Amino acid sequence: MTVVYVKMNRGRLQTSSEAKDQFDFAMEIAGLPEMNDERLLSSTVSNSPRLPGNRMTRSFSFLTGSGASQHSGAAMNRQITLFLGVLLFGFSGVVLADGGEKLTFNRNIRPILSKNCFACHGLDKKKRKADLRLDVAKGAFADLDGRHAIQPGNPEASEAWKRITTNDPDDIMPPPDSDKKLDAAERATIRQWIEQGAPYEQHWAFIAPVKPPVPKVMGAKNPVDAFLLDRLTREGLAFSPEARKETLIRRVTLDLTGLPPTPRDVEAFVADHSPDAWDKLVSELQSRPAYGENMARYWLDLARYADTHGLHLDNERSMWPYRDWVVRAFNQNLPFDDFTRWQLAGDLMPHPTRDERIASGFNRCNPTTSEGGSINEEFIYRYALDRTTTTVEVWMALTAGCAVCHDHKFDPLSTREYYSLYAFFNSAADPAMDGNKIDTPPILKLTTREDQARLKELDKNIAAVDEKIKKALAAVEYQDPAVQTPAPPAREVEDVWFEDGFPAGTKPRSSGAPLQLVNKADGARVFSGNVALRRQAGQGVEQDYFSGGASFPVPRRGKIFVSCYLDPKDPPQAIMVQFHVGGWKYRAIWGEEEKIPFGKPGTTQKVLMGTLPETGKWIRLEFPASKVGLKAGQKVGGYAFTQYGGIVNWDRLGVSSRVEPSKDPAWSYKIWVEKNQGKRNDLLPEGLRQLLRGKKADQWTKEEGGKIRSFWLTHVYAGNRDLLAPMEQEKAPLEKEKSDIEKKTPLTFVMADLPKPRESFVMIRGAYDKPGEKVTRAVPAVFPPLPGRPKDRDYNRLDLANWLVNGKHPLTARVMVNRIWQQMFGMGIVKSSNDFGTQGEPPSHPELLDWLAIHFMESGWDMKELVHLLVTSRAYRQTSRITPELLKRDPENRLLARASRYRLDAEELRDQALFVSGLLVPTVGGRGVNPYQPPNIWEPVAFGGSNTRFYKQGVGDDLYRRSLYTFIKRTAPPPFMSSFDAPNREQSCARRGRSDTPLQALQLMNDVQQVEAARNLAQRMLKNGGKTLDERITWAWKSVTARAPDPDELSIARNAFSQHLNRYESDEKAAVELVSYGESKRDENIKASELAAYTMVANLIMNLDEVIVRN
Amino acid sequence: MNTLLEYHQHLTRRRFFNGAGLRLGGLALATLGGKKAALGAGDVSTGKVHPPLPGLPHFAPRAKSLIYLHWNGAPSQIDLFDYKPGLQKFFDKDLPDSVRNGQRITTMTSGQSRLPIAPSQFAFQQCGQSGMWISELLPHMQKVADEMTLIRTVHTEAINHDPACTFVMTGSQIPGKPSLGSWLSYGLGSESNDLPAFIVFTPTFPKASQAQALFTRMWSSGFLPTKYDGVALRGTGDPVLFIKNPPGVNSGDRRTMLDALSRLNQKNYQRFGDPETETRISQYEMAFRMQSSVPGLTDLSGESKATLEMYGPEVSKMGSYASSAILARRMIERGVRVVQILHRGWDQHGNLPRLIKGQCMDVDQATAALIRDLKLRGLLEDTLVVIGGEFGRTVYSQGTLTKDNYGRDHHPRNFCMAMAGGGIKGGFTYGETDDFSYNVVKDPVHLNDLNATILHCMGVDDRRLSFPFQGLDQKLTGVEDPRVVSEVLA
Repeated sequence: MTVVYVKMNRGRLQTSSEAKDQFDFAMEIAGLPEMNDERLLSSTVSNSPRLPGNRMTRSFSFLTGSGASQHSGAAMNRQITLFLGVLLFGFSGVVLADGGEKLTFNRNIRPILSKNCFACHGLDKKKRKADLRLDVAKGAFADLDGRHAIQPGNPEASEAWKRITTNDPDDIMPPPDSDKKLDAAERATIRQWIEQGAPYEQHWAFIAPVKPPVPKVMGAKNPVDAFLLDRLTREGLAFSPEARKETLIRRVTLDLTGLPPTPRDVEAFVADHSPDAWDKLVSELQSRPAYGENMARYWLDLARYADTHGLHLDNERSMWPYRDWVVRAFNQNLPFDDFTRWQLAGDLMPHPTRDERIASGFNRCNPTTSEGGSINEEFIYRYALDRTTTTVEVWMALTAGCAVCHDHKFDPLSTREYYSLYAFFNSAADPAMDGNKIDTPPILKLTTREDQARLKELDKNIAAVDEKIKKALAAVEYQDPAVQTPAPPAREVEDVWFEDGFPAGTKPRSSGAPLQLVNKADGARVFSGNVALRRQAGQGVEQDYFSGGASFPVPRRGKIFVSCYLDPKDPPQAIMVQFHVGGWKYRAIWGEEEKIPFGKPGTTQKVLMGTLPETGKWIRLEFPASKVGLKAGQKVGGYAFTQYGGIVNWDRLGVSSRVEPSKDPAWSYKIWVEKNQGKRNDLLPEGLRQLLRGKKADQWTKEEGGKIRSFWLTHVYAGNRDLLAPMEQEKAPLEKEKSDIEKKTPLTFVMADLPKPRESFVMIRGAYDKPGEKVTRAVPAVFPPLPGRPKDRDYNRLDLANWLVNGKHPLTARVMVNRIWQQMFGMGIVKSSNDFGTQGEPPSHPELLDWLAIHFMESGWDMKELVHLLVTSRAYRQTSRITPELLKRDPENRLLARASRYRLDAEELRDQALFVSGLLVPTVGGRGVNPYQPPNIWEPVAFGGSNTRFYKQGVGDDLYRRSLYTFIKRTAPPPFMSSFDAPNREQSCARRGRSDTPLQALQLMNDVQQVEAARNLAQRMLKNGGKTLDERITWAWKSVTARAPDPDELSIARNAFSQHLNRYESDEKAAVELVSYGESKRDENIKASELAAYTMVANLIMNLDEVIVRN
Repeated sequence: MNTLLEYHQHLTRRRFFNGAGLRLGGLALATLGGKKAALGAGDVSTGKVHPPLPGLPHFAPRAKSLIYLHWNGAPSQIDLFDYKPGLQKFFDKDLPDSVRNGQRITTMTSGQSRLPIAPSQFAFQQCGQSGMWISELLPHMQKVADEMTLIRTVHTEAINHDPACTFVMTGSQIPGKPSLGSWLSYGLGSESNDLPAFIVFTPTFPKASQAQALFTRMWSSGFLPTKYDGVALRGTGDPVLFIKNPPGVNSGDRRTMLDALSRLNQKNYQRFGDPETETRISQYEMAFRMQSSVPGLTDLSGESKATLEMYGPEVSKMGSYASSAILARRMIERGVRVVQILHRGWDQHGNLPRLIKGQCMDVDQATAALIRDLKLRGLLEDTLVVIGGEFGRTVYSQGTLTKDNYGRDHHPRNFCMAMAGGGIKGGFTYGETDDFSYNVVKDPVHLNDLNATILHCMGVDDRRLSFPFQGLDQKLTGVEDPRVVSEVLA
């Protein structure tokens, strides 16, 4: 048994009421009767610090072994010893011959020095005062002008001891203005340590774990229990009884899948008395798709995953395939070493698979900007910092960010070492400005196998047409009119928009009878070509039209023409052509204007051109484009043939204009180049576009010039249009299909390095524009080294990843094991799961942590096995009941003498509501969805031009998907997430807070998704819950809490129900309002007042403390 | 949440670990030793749901509440507050290299072939007894000059909006740090038991303006617990999220449900003994109280005609700047600790003379009215009002300069902020810039200094309000020691 004694100065106790409280308290928590100081032990007398007179207030010692037997020593005057059972470290201290305990640097001394001294006497050279370093023995023992900060064994000769005990305000350490202060106990600890020879040791987290033997504890089958019980026994404690089976299945189902169990699950488990019932349950839960979804949530917090770029415009980015990969990785139980390699360096794996490349998106999840005015170098630098710091935090749980500006003050990480790590990430190929695009490169397109085959086929067919085009073009001798003398004369040209059908690639639509194209070969009336459009309208307005898929430029002084044939036997009363440029706003009408109601008469939206043309013959109608408001340069993206009644044949629609070939970019290549060089032209494909924009024509190589010219001849030159039209017609549907496939194909950001790495420097005080010393890729010296550098290349991210998981790194396995522990027990063995450094908290059970870490590696980094091991422990299955005694002794439950009880995460709360109400849509994966959100969350903060400015709430299934799939806009995260402590994913988060606020209560009571869920639960109560009120309440209670209500609870709920029913029976309107809230249809067969009352009871049950917590 | 208990437990933990478990403090012992005080909600001794941290305020505060009027997008100091009559003769001349001195400028103007000086088109007047120079664009604020200190030499490190907004509100360009309001809420708690400690408005702004984005991080609690988040009081929809009962549920129905809930949760507490259950019961009760207090807060029917007129015609339009301003006063009266109004649309890269007029129309009258209204009610001496943006604008024109049109680019090296009320001198101008409003020549005030000064007015020593995170005792004002600008203190 480990006993801690605190000796207090009796005199002070008598005069200080504060200390008296302490004393009383300490007695009480120790559960010991108040001791007469005459009975107290003396075995530490010889070891007690010799401090001057009354200045000594407290000293202490650690004893191992039977505390009780040591109490029967001789009397010790003026000292009392208190038993403190709440001390939370695992002790393995060495008992000295005199009964005192040997202090260890990491446990006893480092926390004091780190907090009080290292800021000025630590690793950071620049801030180091008096050239004294206290974090390593060499510095502390050094001869500084004949004095020694620490003289091992001799406090009086140690300058540090003098300085921490002096009364002189000029000399005292820490200096008064530092806001730091050593108290008497800390001073005494330091004294005792110096007396014991001031042994230093490396911080525990930097010493590789060694697998400790599993303590032999009666009845502990699971090693986890053995370690925990070993400690508890020494504290005089034990595990609490097992929780009820109903509690257990809810706990484990939530912990493993993020969802509660169904009543059927509960019944089956309660009825299963086989010895391996629990084991089977855990395995079954781990095999559900929901397992991966739940595990992924925690990882996505670490990866700072979100669906927008995060800075400035905060536009959408396509990153969700990475999120889905994380889910998949957990479900497929990808070993953690590969999980690490793929995310840090999937792109560098030999012949990377698709999943490996998707996983590399981990390093692309950082927030990025495209804010005008930003300085590229600054952001390239910031992204690399983010990636470095995140990697160090996620895999090593060290606060590397400190070393960006100065040597880490507390941990052995110098600025130089930091930037050597940064050098691994500083050559990322993504641009400084994300372009506010959904697909900031480098990206990976995730084409399906079928699509891939089809694309190949399409490419082949397109290439065949291209070949034909090439041949046709080769036969044409192009002479640039701009270089001809004399220049060719101006002439009239026609650009035909409709001939033999609607443009290829468009989706023509009709109102009225189906679209009808008639053929000359069949004897139909056709004006030109082979096919015309024919419409026999019944009564009223009918039309054929398209918008989108093709566009036609309006030339200067262009004239629109169209031919029509009006049936003399059944003429229409009005005809109209309409044009679409960002909207249907340009119309010409003949005949009875008011018959066709589109557009405002007297504006260009509706221009009356005259009476109906003559019937019984083809008439060419013609009018200046400007007359209907079309301006030169505008692109017509759609047109419509409209009529009121009658039969009309339509043919050959287009625009004519007079061109001067020598000045027209559609006829002269020279002119086109002059007008377009140095500018962005979206007509050009990727590659050529940059070339045209980036360089003037005189800088193009011959090859580049050739490419652009051939593009022009194919796509711009008007003189080839007739020649190429049939081939373009052939190609258009192929290209459309190709682009449709590409459009629907998901893409995701992936990591890649520049072909030529950037040089890396220590950036002075973290300024992006102040490079200092040059650095190369390397790992901090405190860790095992990287293997020898390959001869032919530098180290890369894959080397770094391999180094993290090579089994020798002291942190990787511990950090991950601790995180899973935190997930299953509510708090890590190292509570500061994001900081294993000297400023973090030491582990409550160091041996257990090390055992688990080694076991994890020995299992092949098997994550499912690790989770299984933890939740099948006896410790996990305890009741969470908190006795007043336990609350006092171990308020944070570090010793695990009971199970922890804490509020569910944001996602779990929402998913639980959807689940118990039957609304949940369990579809796995896909682009983020927009469930209910109160109005005006995005818009009041969004940039005007952002594509995430307005929240477009989803419909149908999108409202009821698991919260994991909710679209996360970083600058305005979903309220249901942020009010319940979900991070906004701006930076990596290892541990969420667990606040408890009135805003949460408001949300759980009033949010439409909660109320709608309550109503759906109420409908299920009425439908499936039995015949009587009691049966129904019991059924709902079981669905939500996994247990039946006791009679008292049932009666409270029953009472509430009758009050609600009374009220809603007298106010049917209110009842209808309540049960109509939400998009899902209410069950009309149930009387509104009854359903409303049940809804309120469901709302009540869903707000129970027991339901909000994981119990 | 039970702050006291949380604090005590926190303290206890820290002490155990840091001092190897040997330094039980009196407070922790008192709590854990079975004193009943701390297990319910809040601090029984003060009756507050959200009490201050022990030991806070550090010294007698000059102001109990803060109203922070953030004009987002960077208002032009040259056209509003930093009077430079000498510039007129430099019209369309190039900014001398000796002034710019190679300092970085944004990529929006770094490609311009020249940097022509654009003197302000607007006349300045000397105002009040002090003779403070204020632009004609702000005629109402001119009249309260004697209540204000004008600091002309505030500077920041960020040159673009996103990092600068993050910096001005959280003391860091990197997202993830708590906002000023969250720090104050964390340290000082709330005087109110039924309203949040920290409330934020994002009022509408003139439609003509191309507004920069805001970010919830400007009022988020960062690494502090989320209960210190600013609560955004909204112009449309529920003023506080989910404050309204669902349709068909009235206050009586909610009470019925809550009575049952409370009894059931009590039983649960008896079963599991979890103090958090009791906290939760009290949070549901607080939620219920908020449901009745918040709508009353936004109901202006009790305001006198004179008061409403003082704020201008938009005062009754929920979501306007003027309405936010009067609501800010009503909140301060009810014990809200921090109110922040974030008015957008000040980013005038082009067409500045036209656009800035609209912006000033939006804020001028209501800002002056707020100061006057607080003064009339005797609230000004306990309320600190801070006015300003995230950086300033350049003296040279972005884009084409003409006689009556110009634009201005971002300028982080000096800009103006005004302060009034609790602890601040009236009619005082501080700091000097050079003739081009381009460099500080006297009395620079870094944003960290400004924040330290704000904290100081609120009775907080910025060095002593910290929270351990990422291995550092994090502070609003960063790692270097800032300076409280004592010259501006009354």
